[in-house]
Amino acid sequence: MATSNPRTPLPSRIVMAAIDMSVSGDLPLGIATSLGRVFAGFAFAAAIAVPLGLAMGAARAVERNVDPLIETFRPIAAIAILPLAILWLGTGTAAAVLIVAYAAFFPIVVNTLAGAKRIPPTLLRAAATMGLSRFTTIRTIIVPGALPAIGVGLRIGMGVAWTAIVAAELAVGAKAGGGGSGGIGQMMFIFYAYSIELNRIIVCMIAVGLVALLLDRGIRTGMRLLMPWGVA
Amino acid sequence: MSAQASAVPDDIKLRLVNAGKRFGGSAGTQTIAVRDFTLDVRRGEFLVIVGPSGCGKTTVLNLLAGLERATEGSVTIDGRPIDAPGPDRGVMFQDYALFPWQTVWGNVGFGLAHGPAGAGLDAAARERRVRDCVELVGLAGAEAKYPHQLSGGMRQRVALARLMANEPDVLLMDEPLAALDAQTRMIMQDELLRIWGQDRPAAQRRTVVFITHAIDEAVFLADRVAVMTTHPGRLKAVVDIPLSRPRGDATRGHPQFQALSQHIWSLIRDEAQRAAVT
Repeated sequence: MATSNPRTPLPSRIVMAAIDMSVSGDLPLGIATSLGRVFAGFAFAAAIAVPLGLAMGAARAVERNVDPLIETFRPIAAIAILPLAILWLGTGTAAAVLIVAYAAFFPIVVNTLAGAKRIPPTLLRAAATMGLSRFTTIRTIIVPGALPAIGVGLRIGMGVAWTAIVAAELAVGAKAGGGGSGGIGQMMFIFYAYSIELNRIIVCMIAVGLVALLLDRGIRTGMRLLMPWGVA
Repeated sequence: MSAQASAVPDDIKLRLVNAGKRFGGSAGTQTIAVRDFTLDVRRGEFLVIVGPSGCGKTTVLNLLAGLERATEGSVTIDGRPIDAPGPDRGVMFQDYALFPWQTVWGNVGFGLAHGPAGAGLDAAARERRVRDCVELVGLAGAEAKYPHQLSGGMRQRVALARLMANEPDVLLMDEPLAALDAQTRMIMQDELLRIWGQDRPAAQRRTVVFITHAIDEAVFLADRVAVMTTHPGRLKAVVDIPLSRPRGDATRGHPQFQALSQHIWSLIRDEAQRAAVT
């Protein structure tokens, strides 16, 4: 029978593996480690990308200068900067956070910019006829007007952050030879390269997916609370 | 209606002298929206600009608002050149330009909260002003609603209240009633005159420049009607409307009202017909 090989993934084996990994604490620990890195990298990315995107949307000069830079770096996969990240920051959390931040930065900045530029010009004209200063216009018109697009950027950025963390931890795991810094991606590397447990890899995949789903719902709820006018 | 370039008489609020506006770059591709437009708007006057669509009415309004700059001639308020928007000239936009993320209350009080209109007013005074304006336009009870929860007529009232709350010297209104159904429109015409203060002495009224393509609306509202023609937009005639104020339903049925409407129609009929077939 094809199922005689105990490594062949089966639903029942995946459930058993999931229970085993949860009870042992390995899975929660791995998720927690990765989650911390995702949060840190995502926070860095958002803290830079949202203000930058708004500034680009508010001032043509900023956009003209910064946009080519962003569009040059955007196609370069986050994983491609891994060698540099490891060289500079080692195989620990710092390198992983940098890669997550790099990956999440682009969707957030691009969407924020698009949102800031899509604000109906008549609203900006209305603000001008009321004598609003430049800064007040950004704060009271461009920020709330771009908020729906910022929300989309944050959601995409969060998804990208997860793909980046798994890739980064896999690669760091390979580099560190199975030791090193932990996290869900490194767990997957160990199951792949050392103990060869496909069922456990699938458990990790599902865990990442579920955590990312929860985070996405969290962002959506947060944006809804921020936008009680609810047109988006 | 002389248009000396020198000192502007005290009773003239807005003055356009040979004002023109071209769009586009090189000579061949330019569009002339407005040409050689000379008009004085008197202090406290309700002036309506009427004309077929595409005649440059909105461009004239934007020149007065400072949202666009004249490429020829001069545009002044109290003798000072207009080169930028300012809180002394409030604009009511055709699409109302309400902020979707602000409630009715937030929209009406927006200029007071974030612009120079609120300078020198404490929180209580601002709140009183917003409340007065909300009540003035009949929106009491809807303060917490967002624009997308309102009907077209109510949005238009919010825009009017927002304009009034800022207490600008000059009210510039770009077809504010165009999107309303016929009944709501007539009611809003009455309301507009009441809010403008048609039962007050002329010296206490604000200066209004109001754009419309509806001739009956122009005659009903205006002290004077400026008639524009197309391609390029020019001033064809200025018609005095000597109908007594306050005006109401009786005005609409008055023979003089009909005669004035007929007269203005005769001024733009050829233009309108040409516009309709091209």
